[in-house]
Amino acid sequence: MEELQDASIHHMTARVISAIKTTKCYEPIYKELQRLACSPNVDPIDMRNTLEEAIKGAGLETEIRNIVYNLVRSRLCKPEATKQLSKTTLSDPLGYLKRAGVLWDRRVRKSLNAMCSELKVPLHGQPRISADREDFMAKWNELSNYSMDLANYRPVYAPKDLLEVLLSLKGPAKTTESTDQIPQWEFSHIALPVKNLFELRAHFADLLRSDGYLGVPDLTTQCQRILEGRHAPMCQHFLKKGCTPAPYRGALWAAVLDSKLHDYDIEHWQKLRNTVWTTDHIVDKLVFKDIQLTASNDDQYFVFEDVLYQVLLCFSRDTDIGSCVDYEAFPVKGRTYEGPPSGVVPFHGICMFAAPFCYLYDSPVNLYYTFRAFYIRYCHRLTTINTHPQGIVSLCLLFEKLLQTYEPQLWSHFRELQIQPLRVVFKWLMRAFSGHLPPDQLLILWDLILGFDSLEILPLFAIIILSFRKESLMQVASLDNIEAILADLSSIKVLPLVQLALSRD
Amino acid sequence: MNTPGETLLGDWTQACRVASLKPTLGQSTATMYGRLPGNNNNNSNNNNPAGGGGNTGVGSGGNGGAGTGGGQGHDRLKIGFCTDLDKSVLVNNFEKRGWHQVNGDDDWHFYWAGVQTCRNIFSVDSGYRMHDNQMINHFPNHYELSRKDLLVKNIKRYRKDLERDGNPLAEKAESNNSSGNRYLYLDFVPTTFVLPADYNMFVEEYRKFPLSTWIMKPCGKSQGAGIFLINKLSKLKKWSREAKGPFHPQIAKESYVISRYIDNPLLIGGKKFDLRLYVLVASFRPLKAYLFKQGFCRFCTVKYDTSVTELDNMYVHLTNVSVQKHGGEYNTLHGGKWSVQNLALFLEGTRGKEVTDRLFGAISWLIVHSLRAVAPVMASDRHCFECYGYDIIIDNALKPWLVEVNASPSLTSTTVNDRILKYKLIDNILSVVLPPDGVPDVRWNKVPSADALGNFDLLIDEELAAQDEAQNSSTSTTHAKASKMGSRWK
Repeated sequence: MEELQDASIHHMTARVISAIKTTKCYEPIYKELQRLACSPNVDPIDMRNTLEEAIKGAGLETEIRNIVYNLVRSRLCKPEATKQLSKTTLSDPLGYLKRAGVLWDRRVRKSLNAMCSELKVPLHGQPRISADREDFMAKWNELSNYSMDLANYRPVYAPKDLLEVLLSLKGPAKTTESTDQIPQWEFSHIALPVKNLFELRAHFADLLRSDGYLGVPDLTTQCQRILEGRHAPMCQHFLKKGCTPAPYRGALWAAVLDSKLHDYDIEHWQKLRNTVWTTDHIVDKLVFKDIQLTASNDDQYFVFEDVLYQVLLCFSRDTDIGSCVDYEAFPVKGRTYEGPPSGVVPFHGICMFAAPFCYLYDSPVNLYYTFRAFYIRYCHRLTTINTHPQGIVSLCLLFEKLLQTYEPQLWSHFRELQIQPLRVVFKWLMRAFSGHLPPDQLLILWDLILGFDSLEILPLFAIIILSFRKESLMQVASLDNIEAILADLSSIKVLPLVQLALSRD
Repeated sequence: MNTPGETLLGDWTQACRVASLKPTLGQSTATMYGRLPGNNNNNSNNNNPAGGGGNTGVGSGGNGGAGTGGGQGHDRLKIGFCTDLDKSVLVNNFEKRGWHQVNGDDDWHFYWAGVQTCRNIFSVDSGYRMHDNQMINHFPNHYELSRKDLLVKNIKRYRKDLERDGNPLAEKAESNNSSGNRYLYLDFVPTTFVLPADYNMFVEEYRKFPLSTWIMKPCGKSQGAGIFLINKLSKLKKWSREAKGPFHPQIAKESYVISRYIDNPLLIGGKKFDLRLYVLVASFRPLKAYLFKQGFCRFCTVKYDTSVTELDNMYVHLTNVSVQKHGGEYNTLHGGKWSVQNLALFLEGTRGKEVTDRLFGAISWLIVHSLRAVAPVMASDRHCFECYGYDIIIDNALKPWLVEVNASPSLTSTTVNDRILKYKLIDNILSVVLPPDGVPDVRWNKVPSADALGNFDLLIDEELAAQDEAQNSSTSTTHAKASKMGSRWK
């Protein structure tokens, strides 16, 4: 057994080492190491110990630890994806789901392509004419004053489009059951494993603990010390409390998501900006349209309109995103379509994923990298059909199962009314509550996403809200009235409600 | 009564009722909190999941007020209200309390009056004498605070008086951006002169800082009317010549104030804004004042640009909604209004807690001292209370500047949230100024319970502070003393 463990550690180490070499931070760290190796403190005779000391002394050890931590968290935890592709066959019980994922992505791209040909603009963009470029550059900091005709542009898709597709997902019918026993409007039949409340309690157990760190009772002091230590896992652990002091949130999130700015990040940002300045792309119009339809009209975020234009325009040009996001792979015949440079087709409300970050960072560059990392790690799973345990399908399933098990009254109420409960909460899930909860509460919810590294808090919180307003929900009998009861979440306080739900006997 | 607004409000109160329902997760509220872990208990204000202090206010203040309004114990007294303003946020609030509408000539108990009506009622000629169960929403000489020239005059006098008494508040320090010395603690109004009276003083100041921009405002007007910017003395001279001409007889009669223009405002998202805060004064002597937590920032719809060509584009410089409404890009969903809570969240997140707290502390300070400055000259009649709209600009060093005070802040709602806010404001005002039984009574000691405060925070209560002081000096114990100046914002 020990041998096996040993072997797997070696295996992992080898993978980490090869992965590290492909990161942007490898080169500067390597140079720093070379510099340290030549320093007088490092003794060639006792190379191993003295170099280790030097690395620790220079603070490089923490940096390397954080890199390893982030690699293991993100890229190295999906080893089977490529292997499995070869043997994906009809025998894969989730094959239909993967297929749906590929088809959904294709459909979205196809509709972007259709929009391009309808409006006679090339999908891959075209150089801006010089007058436009001048205008665009001059107004870069106030893009709300940049005028363009958006009348013919509409969002490629909205939450309800994805919901319709999800609700129409059909698994392979089991022959033993008669088809009328499977309700038409739920998808509990999907064979993805999801947690029950007991497992969720175990997962979120730290939320109910009131232990102090480092023997310091004061949160602010704790937070300062953790940030000084720079250990990403410590930062992540701190966010689990759900009471992050606002001034430190930005730094903590950047530490957890490994989005602290390096010189090469700033260069990359400038490159992206220049691409936006020089090329005119259809996604620009979609980005403008989306911000105008959502954030610009939102009384919590409208002041940040201009920052959001910059961030989302650069986001659309960032080819790094495509290589970090893992899409479902499944052999499906038919044409494939080209997408925007980032691979992400803007949909109605995409800017609401970026908007909450405006409360954390004053500069668009800082905002950009943390948002991008958050998007790659979490948000993209909410807008694609995938089999990931934290993908939107699993989250919907988790929601349904929790509702059925823990709020059976509500469940049957919805059932009697022939209203899919998911319809009521889907927009919350797909936007991770952004634009629905007031920013101070939303940031707490997102603290928990980052702290527990899980989107499962979203369906759990949706249940909590339904449960909290159950009495009123039981009294109404139409979708409109139900939505009216759930429309205003401004009085909802995240932390006490989540703690309450988890501590319930 | 079936205007669209009414139905909106109906929906809203329903939503409130819905939101305030007990949580169904736990057995009861008591056991629910009993089981909560301790790490949340230090901020007791946030413990209520229904969010008593939340934005749309499910608040205890509102509902509590409604309950008392019915008049338990005062069944015989049916309260008559009278209003000069036919605003639904007012009438709905009055009717919710079971009051009935009467004419100004009838026997009223509560009058939401225009300033002119109030002046008439208090004028010697009217011969009207209010009885103990009557209240009115203005002080007869509110203009000591709300007229731009008088406000400046009163503040200047207040500072001089303090200085003469050797009060440490009036301490001065060398300064490089205004004439001579500036007050260390009481420098919260931009340098201002009254025209034409102080013309020579202005010219002297102008010559010291020829590069600064000045803003001209007519003393008696509001909502941004008649305001313009000046960056050359010749422009002022030209204006003055024209004003004396035969075509503008009305300007000649009017006096103006000219103030140093805050040319380094704090920008958020690149946009300029000012703060509108609501301050309720229940009494001037002793001073009893409350600050409404739900103020808002009013944003310019056009980007801020100091270049000279933009000097005449008033949309850039004035944040008044009545001005912005005519701009091309006015948004009817948010009306350019952003909550003070969001401002605090943003500043804490991007600048830190300490500077944010200091800013909000400085704002409370500014309000209290502007009120103290006028307190001696105000006719502090016990029948009166008043809600002021404070307009404050924050500069990029996070220093707040008092721009002006409005005695009749607009009760027109520009958005749904605005309507909710103003409804709540009126509701909270009523529950603070009325005795617990909801019947106007000037003999009441005007000490509202914590519940009655709703979304108001106590800014200052000189009476309570004096009692505390007396108690402290006699018993010399350090018992929990009612804060003389609260500045809790969130």
